[in-house]
Amino acid sequence: MRIGPYAVKLRKRTALAGWQAAIISVLAIVVALALFSLIFILAGVNPLVAYREIFSYAFVNRFGLPLTINRFIFLLLCTCAFILPFRAGLWNIGMAGQLYVGALSAFAVLLAFGAKASRSMELNPTLVIPLMVLAAALGSAALGAVAGFLKGRFDVNEIVVTMMLNFIAYWLVARMIKEGGIFMNPGGRGESFEMPPSVYAPFIAGTPFTIILALGVAALLYLLLAKTRLGYEIRAYGKSPAAARYAGVSPVKIPFVVFVIGGALAGWAGYHYFAAVPGVYKISRNYGYFGDLAFYGIICGLISQGNPLAAIPVALLFGGLSIGGRFIQGQFNMSFGVDYALLGVLMITLVAFQFFYRYQLVLSPVLSPACPEPRRRVEGPSKGSCGQKPGRS
Amino acid sequence: MFEFLARSLEASTIFTLAALGELVGQRSGILNVGVEGVMLFGATLGFIAAQVTGSFLIGFLVGILIGGLLGLLHGFFSITLGGDQVVSGMGIWIFGFGLTTYIGNPFTGPLGMGRIPKLWGVSPFFYLSIMLIVLTRFVLTRTSLGLKIRSVGENPAVAEVSGVNVTKIRYLCVTVSGMLMGFAGAVYSLDYNPVWNYNFLMGWGFIALALVFFSMWNPLILLGGSLLFGALWQLSLNPQLVLPGVLSRYVWRMAPFAITVVVLMLMSTRWFRRRWGAAKPEALARPYAKE
Repeated sequence: MRIGPYAVKLRKRTALAGWQAAIISVLAIVVALALFSLIFILAGVNPLVAYREIFSYAFVNRFGLPLTINRFIFLLLCTCAFILPFRAGLWNIGMAGQLYVGALSAFAVLLAFGAKASRSMELNPTLVIPLMVLAAALGSAALGAVAGFLKGRFDVNEIVVTMMLNFIAYWLVARMIKEGGIFMNPGGRGESFEMPPSVYAPFIAGTPFTIILALGVAALLYLLLAKTRLGYEIRAYGKSPAAARYAGVSPVKIPFVVFVIGGALAGWAGYHYFAAVPGVYKISRNYGYFGDLAFYGIICGLISQGNPLAAIPVALLFGGLSIGGRFIQGQFNMSFGVDYALLGVLMITLVAFQFFYRYQLVLSPVLSPACPEPRRRVEGPSKGSCGQKPGRS
Repeated sequence: MFEFLARSLEASTIFTLAALGELVGQRSGILNVGVEGVMLFGATLGFIAAQVTGSFLIGFLVGILIGGLLGLLHGFFSITLGGDQVVSGMGIWIFGFGLTTYIGNPFTGPLGMGRIPKLWGVSPFFYLSIMLIVLTRFVLTRTSLGLKIRSVGENPAVAEVSGVNVTKIRYLCVTVSGMLMGFAGAVYSLDYNPVWNYNFLMGWGFIALALVFFSMWNPLILLGGSLLFGALWQLSLNPQLVLPGVLSRYVWRMAPFAITVVVLMLMSTRWFRRRWGAAKPEALARPYAKE
């Protein structure tokens, strides 16, 4: 193809430097937001105004910023839950189910301490809160383990299994919190009982302590992948399971381990939203919404190219975008689901941009053709290549 | 009881159409995990088109058209760009899930048109789906086009040197595949349950995807599987019709998904694979670049 005096060629990349990946990712986000402005235009809203409102509400406004930070913690944990199996070449799209089960497990601890009977109960937070965090991790790790075991032992498609587990967990929560389930709110209302204020998650500098958990998880995951033997095995398995097997990497262990750890991280995301975010402190009736939000984790994981540290700014940006999207939906009387639409547009743009992680466009100036291609000469037989004078030998 | 059976057949129609679409694509070597996304698009846009124009025909045509376009999009990502088919399929699913939630929301509620008349007590689409199964089986096993499709799915490099245009065949299959999925969605939202609600499919598309794995890529077994799952799904929606008062209705809703996982596991055991493992299209989900 030609553009003006340049020829455009595609060349397969042999290696992709970190900064190149970062540029492509930023470009993908910019293009997605540009495409998304079509939705604003169709809804009769000036996209520039809309984006200004989104960003100022999400990152400056004193009501919006705490929401963004809470959303960021949630998304970062979901992203990490996606990234670890992703580095092993496996797709964990079961974050939704895992976070439901994590939340149920955390609330099961409260149930065991008898907190359902009365909200004013005084529980010992130094005992109960770590137990809740632990239970959330164990419960959801168990759900992740199902997918990991089936993949490793029987090579069952993990996408289908994790999605099936999502639906199973979704209806499990419904069974538990509605129509006489053991977690049901005594007042009915189709939601779980409320947490006693004595075990609300503690705050650090105005945000729930789970922010330390999430950032720590991202850092540890980075170290795990970059510096440890297990991380090496995971990456080797991700590149080629067959080759990794010859190198002594167990094809049963790796899927199991990544799904157990990934599941546990998604469970913490569930703990965070239902037990640590101010104003919730129960498994709310719209718990499915948080499961849907978990799919932002897939996008964050893909954009950050499986790098847990790169996921931090991406999760912050998308947390803000989803909060701001909800805000302007009310502000400009737009139809419900602006944050869902953004999810979809970001995802499909990103898929298109996957191409550029593998190929690069090369611009080269077109020189005046020194060697006209079909050489039709009559003077004598010539085998000489271009530039050589024929018949010199 | 008859009501239950008829509804089961109608439910199985949707599984059959969507899974048949997926099967056609997979036989040519293209895996599309975004069945649910294509169905959501077909269902939502078909629903809107039918409600706005007042014509079922236009609704179905729009559903089929958008399905075909999404199939082409998946083809573009996975054939022309040679990308990872799972990434593209996931993209189409999340795209469908996100965008249809936004687009369809103002249309939340019943369709408000008459029901499509039944034929011998069952929706006419049931008979159509059986005919499509027979037709697909015929095309795949008895025609030269079917031979080309299968050879492209098994070994595209060999197919190419024997004169088959791999790109063309794959584009054809992926487009037809998307059209069938979009049609399945439109059948859901215009005939089976003509009410629009946010993310109303709740797993139909993923069950259809799993059904293709169960079917060992054979349309006739696929039909059997979707009849079974149609009945199971209908039972999970209305357990009180058959077994009143047994277990909570939420437990019933889990049943099809749990059974899917168990069946997938049994199918993946070594014993089963040794016997039937060869049915899988060899080049499934592998990008092909002409040398």
